[in-house]
Amino acid sequence: MALIGRSVPRPDGLAKVTGRARYVDDVAEPGVLVGATLRSTVARGRLRGIVRDPSFDWSGLTVVTAENVPANVVALIEEDQPVLASDDVRHAGEPLALVAGEDALRVARALSHLRADIEPLPPVLTVADALQRTAQIYGSDNVFRTVRIAKGDAAAAIASCPVQLSGTYATPHQEHVYLEPQGVRASWDGNGGAHVLSSCQCPYYIHKGIKRTFGLTDERVDVTQAVTGGGFGGKEEYPTILALHALLLARASGRPVKMIYDRKEDIEATTKRHPSVVTVTSGCDRDGTLRAVSIRVILDGGAYVTLSPVVLSRGALHAAGAYRWEHVSIEAQAVATNTPPNGAFRGFGAPQTIWAIERHMDRIARTLRIDPLALRERNLLRVGDTTPTGQFLKESVGVARCVEEAKKASRWDEKRRVAAGAPPAGASGMFRLPPPGAVAARKARGVGASVYLHGAGFTGSGELAHRARVAVDLFSDAAGKPRFRIRGASTDIGQGTETVFRQIAAEALWVSMDRVDFTTPSTAHVPDSGPTVASRTVMIVGGVVEAAARALFALIEGDRQEKGGSFEDAARRLLGEHGSLTVEREYEPPPGHAWDDATYRGDAYPVYGWGCAIAEVEVDLDTFETTVLSLWSAHDVGKAIHPVNCKGQIEGGLLQAVGWALQENVVMREGRVVNARLTDYVIPTILDAPRFTTILVEDPYSRGPGGGAKGLGELPMDGGAPAVAAAVEHATGIVCDRLPLLPEELYALSKEVRR
Amino acid sequence: MKAVKIRCTLNGRPVTVEAPPAARLLDVLRGPLGLTGTKEGCGEGECGSCTVLLDGAPVNACLVLVGQVEGRAVRTVEGLGDLADLSPLQEAFVKEGGSQCGICTPGFLVSAEALLAAIPQPGETDIREALAGNLCRCTGYQRIVEAVKVASKERASREPG
Amino acid sequence: MSLAELPLHAFERPGSLADVCATLSRRAGKGEETVLLAGGTDWVVAQHMSPLSLGGELPLVLDVSRVPEIRGIRITGERAAIGAAATYLEVRHHAVLTRRVPMLTAMARDVGALQIQARGTLGGNLATASPAADGSAALMALDADVILANVHGERRVPIGQWFTGYRRTARADDEIIVRIEFTLPRTGGHQLWRKVGTRAAQSISKVALAAIGEYERGRCVRVGLGMGSVAPVTASLPTVRALAVSPGPQVVTDEHLDAAVRRDISPIDDVRSTAAYRAHVASALVRGFFHTLRPVSSAG
Repeated sequence: MALIGRSVPRPDGLAKVTGRARYVDDVAEPGVLVGATLRSTVARGRLRGIVRDPSFDWSGLTVVTAENVPANVVALIEEDQPVLASDDVRHAGEPLALVAGEDALRVARALSHLRADIEPLPPVLTVADALQRTAQIYGSDNVFRTVRIAKGDAAAAIASCPVQLSGTYATPHQEHVYLEPQGVRASWDGNGGAHVLSSCQCPYYIHKGIKRTFGLTDERVDVTQAVTGGGFGGKEEYPTILALHALLLARASGRPVKMIYDRKEDIEATTKRHPSVVTVTSGCDRDGTLRAVSIRVILDGGAYVTLSPVVLSRGALHAAGAYRWEHVSIEAQAVATNTPPNGAFRGFGAPQTIWAIERHMDRIARTLRIDPLALRERNLLRVGDTTPTGQFLKESVGVARCVEEAKKASRWDEKRRVAAGAPPAGASGMFRLPPPGAVAARKARGVGASVYLHGAGFTGSGELAHRARVAVDLFSDAAGKPRFRIRGASTDIGQGTETVFRQIAAEALWVSMDRVDFTTPSTAHVPDSGPTVASRTVMIVGGVVEAAARALFALIEGDRQEKGGSFEDAARRLLGEHGSLTVEREYEPPPGHAWDDATYRGDAYPVYGWGCAIAEVEVDLDTFETTVLSLWSAHDVGKAIHPVNCKGQIEGGLLQAVGWALQENVVMREGRVVNARLTDYVIPTILDAPRFTTILVEDPYSRGPGGGAKGLGELPMDGGAPAVAAAVEHATGIVCDRLPLLPEELYALSKEVRR
Repeated sequence: MKAVKIRCTLNGRPVTVEAPPAARLLDVLRGPLGLTGTKEGCGEGECGSCTVLLDGAPVNACLVLVGQVEGRAVRTVEGLGDLADLSPLQEAFVKEGGSQCGICTPGFLVSAEALLAAIPQPGETDIREALAGNLCRCTGYQRIVEAVKVASKERASREPG
Repeated sequence: MSLAELPLHAFERPGSLADVCATLSRRAGKGEETVLLAGGTDWVVAQHMSPLSLGGELPLVLDVSRVPEIRGIRITGERAAIGAAATYLEVRHHAVLTRRVPMLTAMARDVGALQIQARGTLGGNLATASPAADGSAALMALDADVILANVHGERRVPIGQWFTGYRRTARADDEIIVRIEFTLPRTGGHQLWRKVGTRAAQSISKVALAAIGEYERGRCVRVGLGMGSVAPVTASLPTVRALAVSPGPQVVTDEHLDAAVRRDISPIDDVRSTAAYRAHVASALVRGFFHTLRPVSSAG
């Protein structure tokens, strides 16, 4: 067998390379209506009404406004967001009304004949304004949530340190740019049941939202995942509101309705990565031994709560980085502004705080004139250390090996001594900017590094509360031969869930992979294994798949031992007796797992993934364009069940981070995205992508499936940007603590360096 | 404008389709012709998800009006190979991890097909330049480059003689 | 949004230049709008971004991409004629142009990516008259002529007089661009194409410089320049050009060049870049080009 650790061809690949895979917009269906959304163009105001142009022919068109929504709330963490705005308008792009009709042109025309009568109010567009309460837009203080983490007495400890440093670090919005825009198909059956086919990560989130808004019971709602063209968090919570919209139109029209966003609407209306401002104050010894750190995190949540409280929580929990500190104080706040709500995006708050701590580590190294990786190595967390929440790290801390491997592969020491851009002698490895007009080499190279961690699975007691459930069935195929089937809600959005689950189950059942099916996640047919988020799919849900498959194997094997014959004979015998057989298992948290939500003490995550990334860049000293030439990385994944998929996750995640670092820039004016197209919101092309050297380190997690797998999906997103910024600093001497490192920004900073 | 008959060669076979001539080739392929393998990712020629071959050259089907293909040859992902008869590129994309979420995959395959037709043994730079009009958000591109390299070797070995 | 209206447009595919001119003449006379469509890489995109027509008369779309008289590339002696409907891909792979005008073929290779190069045309580039147009900058450096035709015959417009304002040109409603002509630069000079865009491919220029330095007996006799994205129209940098001839590249100082660049451009802040950055890059690129001119002139 030995399926674990083998890069088997992905079973969903055949349909994808032949063009046969049907995404939601590919499903042709006669009679389906086209739905579209009227959105606010102002950031804040009072909606006085939606006015239909009486001269327009409205026949055959369905219009839905807030009055038509049974319970006008999107059920997420809080219920502050309406499905359609009814009174307050809180952000540009907020949905106000919906239209459906037979063809796209009539619907588009109808939208232009619907007018939202809005009394504009002064918006709160920045977190600074929000915190100063220039207007009150959420609660009494415009703060969605505050998280505090304390270990020891950070303030006193910093004050007693010989080296005290402080810095402020900022990151911008990021758009997911899954290549398939959001889309849904919805209808109602004769029994008042709702049916949804959605490009999504979390069918049960949508299920919950539909039940709440339409007052339905579990069995009246069927949400099925369509083949999904990427998610990255962007299809975590947003598809719920889109499904509600389509269902409202379907209910009002009595017809199935399809809503497919075009790219512009997708960028303008859907969630983004939370912008952040993080201030880090640290105390350490002169040799670089870290002692204490105090961190303040502010995230811009946008107009509604959505998932901001948990994004904030994860951000805060990663803010101290992969390092040992005796004293830690973290205060983190998510703040309301009148901008489109920010939400889940690969990394979920951690890339923002890791950007800050990693840039701060470079600040310390710069001040103390220590090699930045040597500084990090001196302070890495090890087995036996405790984290800021007091979590005792008892296993699978492979970070030191990651650093070692990445250093070796990149020839760090050699490159760090002399940047490849032929710097003048005595420049301590840095290429000084030439005086204006000099005809020296106009390009400079440098290398930079980052070290990071990512908690796998839900935060704190999350996995306990959700209790992921998975079923594995034994059934007869058409020819009467025993087959197996995995049922869970975990979606394959490209990352390879189907492949890896089938590997895990087949291995546990001692059968070949082609005898194990993966059920398309549909809430009518699969138990709730939880959302496909938080680097939890392989480690948490895959673990339950393994447990269920093992239990089923034991059942069949028990029958064989009792009654004789082969495993096949036993399986047939059981099928003969029972028709089919199902084993369901649920997640069991590690024994002794403890977490206190009130104090933020305890085991924040079951285990952590670790990584080290080293970037080599070339900066054009005339134009300040940065090219990432190479990216070496080593990631501790516990156990690589499918090495090619692991590398795909790492390289894709790192490139998403490179884009965030160098190019991606959501431009907002008056709270509106003004570059909502792929011409102007630019993501890396194949010519922008570096050559990757991707090393998998395996320090197994005792409870991980397949012999120790840990979560991986988000981890690489945490490390790319700080490594690139450090490399730019090494090449040019320009210190940039705010993303993105656009040429315009580097040019502006270069003038300060020269001075 | 009313639908007219448009004749072209599609995936090697002559076809006649009735469509308004100013409709986008992309919409006619996906609609009346039922070839939904060609995807729309941006509608403005940025992402390459709708790449098809027009007389052998990769073009964005979102920027071509169907009236413009009268008398010409169009090839889509469906014309590259099928489940029973995968092209070396299709096979390599599956094996080497060149396809994750898959929505960009048809466009990449079509662009890569044009590359291998022009340069059977492309170097890394050839590959990257040929695929620069196709965006992928999943892979970081390296697995795609590997897949094209593997496919070019496989094609060479399949050549008769 | 008005993409939904695309299929409503009347569409014709004229077989000859005479047919195109006749249609244009008839419609222009009645004040009817006609879209001359080649690769669609600008116009179709613009439909995507523009609002609905709200019931007005839609323009007629004339597909001119296969009109024989405006296709192809011809070299006659030292003159080049590029058909208005010749694609960037044809320019890029043209043997004589590659040898004699590498600046132009480098530009063609930098436009979008292959899919755009296979469809986009220099005629379309000139007609759209985007200040960020790469092709226009290259043709400006070549001091090309734009040849227009209508039912009455042909007319020649030097590219310096082509752009009459932001996205406006000297083309009349009854005219079509048929070809672009220019004299091949002398051999042995210097040429530069440098595009500073938003990324490595599929990029719109923040600043682009097309430059040609021609020599006679070691002396710089002509510098042709074209710069994109630094003014409402493609910039020809006349002050900078003049400095190349007098006092000449070996004498002119960087400070002189900077001052001349400042006079010749008027960059702005927009979603793609900033005025300050554009001004800096414009100067840096011009300086860089003049530095390459120096060794040759001193060697001669």
